[in-house]
Amino acid sequence: MTSSLVAFIARRVAAALVLVAVVSTAAFVLTHLAPGGPLTDVLIDGGDKVTVAKKWERLGLDRPLVTQLGDWVGGLARFDLGRSFEYDAPVAPIAREKAANTARLAAVALAIALIGLPVGVLTGARPDGWLSAVITPIAVALVSCPPIIGALGLLWLAVSTGWFSIAPGSLGVPSLALALPLAATLERLQSQATAEALRAPDVMAAAARGLSPQRVLWRHAAPQSLRPVLGIAGVLIGSLFSGSLAVEVVTGWPGLGQLMYGALAGRDVFLVAGCALVGAVVLAAGNLVADIVRALVDPRTRLA
Amino acid sequence: MASFHAEPTTFDRLVASRAAEQRITLLTQASLLRVNPVSHQVEPRLATAWTSSPDKLTWTLKLRDGVLFSDGVPFTAADVVFTFDALYDSRLASDMASGYLIRGKPLVVRAIDDRTVMLTFPSPYGPGIRILDGLPILPRHKLAAALAAGTLRESWGRSTPPSDVVGLGPFVLAGNTPGQALRFTRNPHYWGTDDRGRALPYLDEVDIEIVPNQDAEMLRLESGDLDVTNDFIRPEDVATLRSLASQGIVTLAEAGVGLDPSALWFDLAPQSKVAKDRPWLQREEFRQAISLAVDRQAMVDSVYLGLAVPIAGPVTPGFDDWYSADVAVPVRDLARAKALLALAGLTDRHGDGILDDPAGKSVHFTVLTQKGRTDRERTASLLAAQLKAVGIDVDVVALDTNALVGHLTADDYDAIYFGAQTSSIDPADLPQFWLSGGSFHLWDLHEADKPATAWEAQIDDLWQRQAASTDDAERHRIFATIQQVFADHLPALYFAAPKVTVAFGSRVHGVRPSVLQPPVLWNVDSLSVTPRVAGR
Repeated sequence: MTSSLVAFIARRVAAALVLVAVVSTAAFVLTHLAPGGPLTDVLIDGGDKVTVAKKWERLGLDRPLVTQLGDWVGGLARFDLGRSFEYDAPVAPIAREKAANTARLAAVALAIALIGLPVGVLTGARPDGWLSAVITPIAVALVSCPPIIGALGLLWLAVSTGWFSIAPGSLGVPSLALALPLAATLERLQSQATAEALRAPDVMAAAARGLSPQRVLWRHAAPQSLRPVLGIAGVLIGSLFSGSLAVEVVTGWPGLGQLMYGALAGRDVFLVAGCALVGAVVLAAGNLVADIVRALVDPRTRLA
Repeated sequence: MASFHAEPTTFDRLVASRAAEQRITLLTQASLLRVNPVSHQVEPRLATAWTSSPDKLTWTLKLRDGVLFSDGVPFTAADVVFTFDALYDSRLASDMASGYLIRGKPLVVRAIDDRTVMLTFPSPYGPGIRILDGLPILPRHKLAAALAAGTLRESWGRSTPPSDVVGLGPFVLAGNTPGQALRFTRNPHYWGTDDRGRALPYLDEVDIEIVPNQDAEMLRLESGDLDVTNDFIRPEDVATLRSLASQGIVTLAEAGVGLDPSALWFDLAPQSKVAKDRPWLQREEFRQAISLAVDRQAMVDSVYLGLAVPIAGPVTPGFDDWYSADVAVPVRDLARAKALLALAGLTDRHGDGILDDPAGKSVHFTVLTQKGRTDRERTASLLAAQLKAVGIDVDVVALDTNALVGHLTADDYDAIYFGAQTSSIDPADLPQFWLSGGSFHLWDLHEADKPATAWEAQIDDLWQRQAASTDDAERHRIFATIQQVFADHLPALYFAAPKVTVAFGSRVHGVRPSVLQPPVLWNVDSLSVTPRVAGR
C-alpha cells in the first residue's frame, strides 16, 4: 500500500469520525431543544406529579443539558449509548437489534436492485431497441418517485391483489419500495455508461477483430461501464439507508427508521442520538469503503 | 390475530403501564377481582369472596382454591403480599404505585393463611375493594430474589425468555419477535370457567402483531388478516368499515358514549403571559360566551357524522350513573353570547365585525391542537368558524403531541383543544384532573399550594369528601354537585362526546365492546373464533 493511499484513508477515516460525532451530537442537542419533553404520555395517562418527577430524576432528566451531553459523550468511550426513556433500557442493544433489521431490509433491497445493472447493459447496448423503449420510461418514473410514495403504492397493490403480505416483518413491500428506485437508478447509470463504453477505442477495436457482439458487450464493454457506477456506490448506499427510514415508518418494518421516528415523537433524547449515531456510522462506513475502492481503482482520487 | 401499536418495553405491568403492557397483563396475568368495564360491577377473579369491617377500612378476601401459576406452582396469599411489597418498593418506583396510595399512604396487606388475605386502608376510601381491579398478582417464587436484590425493574424486560414470564392469566407468552410479533398460547393451568363450567380460554393461541399506526392497522383489518384492533375506530374510518361490514369481513359494534371527550381550555394561570396581555381570555364571561356561541349539534353532525352526543362537561353519559343529567347542555344563543362578551368589555369598536378589548386590541386567540387527530383538528376549525359569528377571531395550529404538551407545561399558549385518556368511570380514580394540585388540572397546571379560586377550593373539598365516603349514594350526590360547579365556572369547555365504535373480524365471537380500553381484549378468555376458510 503506498503512503499516499494510507494518508488518503487516514483523512477519510478522520472525516468519517467527525461526521459521526457532529450528527449524533446535533441529534442529541436538537431533540433536547425541541418543544415538549419526554414522558408526556405518563402525564396524559393521569400519572401524578410525584411519579413523573421521580421518573425524571431516575432517568437523569432533571440535570442540565450540558451535564447530560457530557455524560453521554463520556459513555460513548465505553460504547454506552445511554438509556432510553421510552424503553427504560440501554440504547445500545435496542439500536443494534433494529439496525440489524434495517441492514437485512437494505441487503434484500440491494440484491433486488442489482437487477438494474444487467438490464442497463442491455438497454445501453441498444438505445433504440424495444427493451429500451419499454424500460426507459419506467426507469425514469421510478427514479423520480421517492421510496415513500412507492411504499404507499405497493401497500395499495398488496391490499388490492393479495400479491404480497403486509404483515409486520414481511419483507415484500418495504424491500420493493426501496429496491425499485435504486434498480431504476442503477439501470439508468449503467445504460449510459455502457453506451459510452461501446464507443471506447479498445471496445471498438475488439469489435473490429471480429468478436461476436455479445462477447464485445459482456466481456469488454460491461466491465468498463461498471467503473462509474462503482464510483457512486457510497451515495447509493446512503440513499438506500435514508430511504429505508421513511419506508420503515410507512410499512411498519421494525428497523432503525421506525425506532428513530418513535424516539423523536417521544423526545427520547438518548435513543434519537443513538439511532443517529448508528445511522451516521453506517453512512460513513459505506462512503469510506466506496472512497477506498475508488482510490484503489483511480489513483487521482487520492489527491482529493 | 390482534394488534398493538407499540411493542411492550417490559412484561411486568408494575414497571410500565402503557397500552401494550396493560394488554399483555390481561393475557398473561390475573387480578384478585375485576370491575367489569361493561356492567361496571365487581366480579370475583382470584378472590372469590370478601367481607369488610363496619368502617370499611379492613377487607378480608378468600382466595380461589387450587389455582396454579402457568409453571404449575400453587398460588397462595404470599403472592398477594409479595405483589404489594413490589408495588410499593421504592427501588422499583412503579408507575402504578400512586394509584394505590390513599392520601399518600399505602394499604397494609397481610396473609392470614394460604387462602386468606387481609387488606387495611389507611383512611376511608370510597371505591373500597374496587382498587384491586387491574393489579396483577405476581409470582413470588419467580421474582422474590429480584425484588430483594433491587433488580425487579430489569427482571421481565423485552428480551426475557418467554418461559420466564409466569402468570395466572389465560395465556402464556410463547414467542416474542421484538418489534414484530408476540405469540401467546393457552395457559394449561388457567382457573377460569364459563357459565356452563367449561374451561377457559376458548382460544388455543393469540397472535399479536405490532402495527405502529392506525392506517396500517386498517389495511390489515381490510385484508381480513387482523381480527382485533388495538383501538377504537376513528370517525374517518367508519364509512370504509361499514362497507367491509356489509361484505361480512368485519363486525361493527357500538360500545356506548366515550369517556374521553376533548376539551377547549384557556390558560388560566395567574402568572401566564395572557393574564397580562389579554386578561379577558381568563374571564368567566368570555368562556360562558364561547360555550353559548358554539353549535354543538353541528359539531356532532359534521365532525362525528352523527356518531356523538352534545355534552356540557367532562362527565359524559358513558360514565353511567356518575353522569348528572341535571347539568344542562347549552344551546347556541348568539345574542346571550354577545351580551356576555360586552359584559367582559369586548365590543366591536372599529365596526369591522371583530370585537375589540378596552385597549383597542382585536379579540383574537390561537387554539393549539393535536396534529393527526382529525376529529380534534376539524372541531377546532369548526370552532373558529362558529366564533366568527360573535366577532371572535381564532387561529388553529396543529402540533405533535409532545410539542403541544410542551406549550401546556410551559404556560405558553392562549387555548388548547386536546384530551386525555380515562381509565375508570369512578371519579375517585381521576384526582389529577379534578384536584387543583393535580398533574392534569388542565387550565392551571402549576397550581400547587392552594386553589387559585373559591370554586376550585369548593371542588377540591367536594372531591375529597366523595373519595373518602363509603356511602355510594352520598358519593354520587357529591359528584353531581361537582359537575354543576364545573359547569357554572367552565374552566374547560366540552362540545361533543363521540360514541365508541369497535370493529373486529366477523369470525370473532364473544365480544362485549367496552368504552374503556382495551375495548375487545378485556375479556380475551371468553373470545372464540370461527376457523379461517382454507386458502383465505
